Amino acid sequence: MQKIETTLNALLEDLGAFYDPKAWHFLTVNGIDLGEGKIELQWIFSRYGAKNDVVVYYALSDYDTPVPSVLPVIPSAFLGEREIVDMFGLNVEGAAAGLYLDKDSQPHPLRGDA
Amino acid sequence: MKKTVQIPLGSQHISLLEPIRFKFECENETIVGVDADVGFVHRGVEQACTTKFDFKQVGFVVARVCGLCAITHSLSYTLAAEKLLDFTPNDRIRYLRMLMVELDRIHSHMLCLAHTAENAGFEALFMQIMGDRELVMDIQEAISGNRIQFDFIAIGGVTRDLTPEMVTLLHKNLDELSGKIADLIELFESNWSLSLKYRGIGALSLEEAQIYNALGPLARAAGLATDVRVETDDFPYEALGYEMMLETGGDIHARNRVRLREIMNSIAMCRNIVGNLPAGEIMEKAKGKPKGEVIVRLEAPRGELFYLVRGGGQNMLERVRIKTPTFSGIPAMMEVFKGSRYADAPAILASFDPCMSCTAK
Repeated sequence: MQKIETTLNALLEDLGAFYDPKAWHFLTVNGIDLGEGKIELQWIFSRYGAKNDVVVYYALSDYDTPVPSVLPVIPSAFLGEREIVDMFGLNVEGAAAGLYLDKDSQPHPLRGDA
Repeated sequence: MKKTVQIPLGSQHISLLEPIRFKFECENETIVGVDADVGFVHRGVEQACTTKFDFKQVGFVVARVCGLCAITHSLSYTLAAEKLLDFTPNDRIRYLRMLMVELDRIHSHMLCLAHTAENAGFEALFMQIMGDRELVMDIQEAISGNRIQFDFIAIGGVTRDLTPEMVTLLHKNLDELSGKIADLIELFESNWSLSLKYRGIGALSLEEAQIYNALGPLARAAGLATDVRVETDDFPYEALGYEMMLETGGDIHARNRVRLREIMNSIAMCRNIVGNLPAGEIMEKAKGKPKGEVIVRLEAPRGELFYLVRGGGQNMLERVRIKTPTFSGIPAMMEVFKGSRYADAPAILASFDPCMSCTAK
């Protein structure tokens, strides 16, 4: 697994330069609460036909920082982005809440302050 | 100006056992737009894995994510935990785990083929396939002690060994099953009536499969050569006779063909595993507490299953991320629906083999 750091500002440019849908399979968007209001966001890819070739782009975000959507580069990421909104209460551009959670559910259950 | 109407399919629908709702926008009989709601059975498994259960118990919790591919879920987590503990199981354990996963693939593919037949109107074929499926479920029950909810895999090994009686049953039932699958292949290839429902219906092109990240049988039926079994080296698939089953049609017929051919390949691999089973213990000590971050990918019957596990050297894990095949397959499914006829939607949907229990976890 290769981890490559990026920033939310440079995210679209970095992923746009990296992602070729003929060579790479987009696995998922992931979030991990690091504590103290910080969340590590990850965009994970595997190379078709290669052994153990997984690349993780990651960026740090605060709870309230707007997160850009990667849909212009990866159209299939919309469900993952909606999941991040539900589970971590992040403000992902254009992604609606309510994929998994109802309005009366516990908000952002995977966040450290939940 | 064409008039469009909104037609729902699900969350409760006669053709759909899974709780998912599609909202189709239709022009006459043709679907022109689709939206999916997948959150009806969300159970908070990821949160429970990091707040309620010790890392040694989590493998049994995630087995409850899905009834059908419980073995793949528990194996994915177990491999992740073992990697974090720097533990490598012996070959006998690896072979026994692989055997159960391949048996699981056979029964899951047969369930999908049965549902696809049922949703295309072939009720008798549905019952025939479900009846034949009992042959593999009997083997799974004999080995694991359960027909569906297997707790066969634990950190450090597996909970039961193969006995000579189990091996005899396995060979007998797989021999019988391979004859029945050969008949089914012949039926799916040559039956004119089935062709009307399957050939050219619900087609996904190779380009769409790449753009929307299709996976598993859905991708391979569209000619996209991807299978986690050859993209990781956790198990010796190539040495035990793995063959990738690729089709180019991308339609329901191609997806059926991929699954039928994969069943035959899995039967062959199960025989090879049992015939070459190494000696050794079935359970070893895996000491320590998980520390670090690891990604594990396994080919579940429906496609790639992904686990990310992060531990901080404590009994409780910091993160268990589960990404299931159906969750990843939904964007490609939605693309296939566009341009299809509403009347074909149930058969198309069944051919994707959706699992909402996994998806909403």
